[in-house]
Amino acid sequence: MSWTLRRRALLAGLPLAAIAERPALAQGGAWPSQPIRLVVPFAPGGTTDLVARLVAAGLQERLGVSVVVENRAGAGATVGSEMVARAAPDGYTLVMSNIASHGISPSVYRGRIRYDAVTDFAHIALVVSNPTVWVANPRSGIRTLGDAAAKARSAGGLDVATSGAGSSNHLMVVRMGQLIGTELNHIPFRGAGPAMQAVIAGQVPMMSDSLPSAANHIRQGSVIAVAMASAERHPSFPEVPTFREQGFDLASDSWFGLSAPAGTPAAVVERLNRETRAFLSAPEIRARLAELGGTPGDLSAEGYGEFVRREVALWAPLVQASGATPD
Amino acid sequence: MDLLANLAHGMGVALSLNNLLFCLIGCLIGTAIGVLPGIGPVATISLLLPITFGQPATTAIIMLAGIYYGAQYGGSTTAILLNLPGEVSSVVTTLEGYKMARRGRAGAALTIAALGSFFAGTVSTVLVAASGPLLTSVALSFGPADYFSLMLLGLIIAAVLAQGSVLKSVAMVTVGVALGLVGTDVQTGQQRFTFGIPELSDGVGFVSIAMGMFGIAEIILNLERPESRSVLSSKVGSLMLTKEEFRRAVPSVIRGTALGSVLGILPGGGAALASFGSYMMERKVSKGRHEFGTGAIEGVAGPESANNAASQTSFIPLLTLGIPANAVMALMVGALIIQGIQPGPRMVEAQPDLFWGLIASMWVGNLMLLVINLPMIGMWVKLLQVPYRYMYPSILIFCAIGVYSLQNNVFDVYQTVIFGIFGYLCSKLRLEPAPMLIGFVLGPMMEEHLRRAMLLSRGDWMVFVERPISATMLAIGFVALAAMLLPSISRKKDAAIQEGG
Repeated sequence: MSWTLRRRALLAGLPLAAIAERPALAQGGAWPSQPIRLVVPFAPGGTTDLVARLVAAGLQERLGVSVVVENRAGAGATVGSEMVARAAPDGYTLVMSNIASHGISPSVYRGRIRYDAVTDFAHIALVVSNPTVWVANPRSGIRTLGDAAAKARSAGGLDVATSGAGSSNHLMVVRMGQLIGTELNHIPFRGAGPAMQAVIAGQVPMMSDSLPSAANHIRQGSVIAVAMASAERHPSFPEVPTFREQGFDLASDSWFGLSAPAGTPAAVVERLNRETRAFLSAPEIRARLAELGGTPGDLSAEGYGEFVRREVALWAPLVQASGATPD
Repeated sequence: MDLLANLAHGMGVALSLNNLLFCLIGCLIGTAIGVLPGIGPVATISLLLPITFGQPATTAIIMLAGIYYGAQYGGSTTAILLNLPGEVSSVVTTLEGYKMARRGRAGAALTIAALGSFFAGTVSTVLVAASGPLLTSVALSFGPADYFSLMLLGLIIAAVLAQGSVLKSVAMVTVGVALGLVGTDVQTGQQRFTFGIPELSDGVGFVSIAMGMFGIAEIILNLERPESRSVLSSKVGSLMLTKEEFRRAVPSVIRGTALGSVLGILPGGGAALASFGSYMMERKVSKGRHEFGTGAIEGVAGPESANNAASQTSFIPLLTLGIPANAVMALMVGALIIQGIQPGPRMVEAQPDLFWGLIASMWVGNLMLLVINLPMIGMWVKLLQVPYRYMYPSILIFCAIGVYSLQNNVFDVYQTVIFGIFGYLCSKLRLEPAPMLIGFVLGPMMEEHLRRAMLLSRGDWMVFVERPISATMLAIGFVALAAMLLPSISRKKDAAIQEGG
């Protein structure tokens, strides 16, 4: 294990070196002059990866340097995030921060991750937020949350599939159980795809999923949208009532944003925030995101930082209640 | 006759100059990454995804699909020539393929791998076109209990598949399952056996294990011997199949294609199970079964056909349900979504060009791969004449690069080294690495499905015998186990009597 220790020692020395370099960077003012690395803390193919590639393509066009997506998956998105937290704060290493790496994992992996989701990052911009939607198999007889609650209280209980343990969907299931007053039978899968397949096949009656991955299945009628876990009804699915309308006080969006290591020059953060928001307001991007069920973000850099702080505080008690800790 | 009209329409799309060009590019890239150890299709497709943004969706997906099955073709080359499997499915190819290469029949092994894959690709393309939606319902009828029983059957196969001592192979399967337990528990999200190393939280890397146990261990073993003997075989042998070899391979190819087509539809372990299953089947039913372990052509022909068939039919859940069966398919969904297309049942009607064009391009791509690969076999085989002292450092370097590129993390390289040493020790102790690998792949999936089945049945074990699919699998597994144990018990008895006497 000596190499790990050595590496840590090396990494610990990095911020110092970076601080020493910073004045030079500020004088030059020529950012960006080299390719930018955008670290995705998940494996390729997921929603985070998808969003990151859209953003990378957009930023590349606007900044005139290539933006390279690099996947660094592992440990609830903490491996890639930790790498960025320790990278030089020169504006050339960014991370696709998200509800897992910067909302839930700080509580799930408390004491094991070596970064602080709030203070070790210069948060740049909220890119997109996706409402959570609860869907049911058409043959399950579940049409409303009332049906679901009744089934949960019956002798058989209610099975609810999610994309995995420790995900925001898992925590939603825990919270919903608290609201109904009886524990739901949480069935975790490896990713949303297999979980959705089990719901379509009727092996599990219900699922808590993010809207982009469920949207197409809802449109096709292979599953029924029971409730939208957002403050208001979604413009693309106006017929689906919210949790609050059905008497359950639950609203949670999953989100993705851009963040850089703490200490990144403010001018760089501002520029990235400006370019990201400009890119996100382009009509074809808005249309693409809306079709997927996502809402493009429009927060200032400080606004996004504050948003992350609130999210970390919000999830901590639910993580406790769910028992999803790695130890 | 709708099918023919649709296929003709698809051919029209696939044969347009632009699509043909990108299909060729995809196949070439795929073959290259397949040949380079460790660099897999997932990493490549994710790197190349941005390039496809500027192309029409159909062209993009045709190229990505080309990379995917091109890699399957290329992967068998290193497995046969260098004992280096880069993917789960090519692990099986090393078993007989590398032995054939050592006997001077590398050319024949590569030829049958290419021909078998082409045949399997042709059949399964027609299958995808004709009965995609129908087959989807088969995939949907598999519940967690059925998956568990299928995986259990797979594990029993792994033990049966081993050469030599049954006890040792069961032990190796167990070691594999144990290694598979490392990482995050799917049900609770807790970390198991990671010793606080964050890199282990997603488990031990498959490519690291496969490369270490097979490739690196083989290099150490070769270096032990004087160089004159470590060069595989000075005479390369005829590249063409002998009439006898061809005759023996044909039934294996057909059996492998059938098995692969069916198992490919199942998400997750389908393709891996297909090649292992085919190997097991050939060992038991083929005419050349007595030659297994010394380089039987059936052991290459069957599994190679099976894995190619499976990789084609694994498009079915994607195209008809919009649900990706593996990581490569997940990337394809991503590529489609970026292009503004939602994969799913409606895609057939909404995007006929894409759907039928892709299917037709699968066949065109397979033909291209055959044309690319057959003439190259001579070149690949010449590689074996390179003196080993030049060869092995290059292999090691490519392995290191490949493994590093998986996660851009040096940890994976160290992992590979450790498994290389472990693999060397195992071969000194005459322990087979193949059962360990299948245990490693199937163990965690089996656990996941077992626990999910238990969660859904509220702890009632009867689900495994009440569901017909599950019950059938368990019955076959039981028979296979009995068939394996009986002769070995009687053989041991004989041995004991002889020793006593």
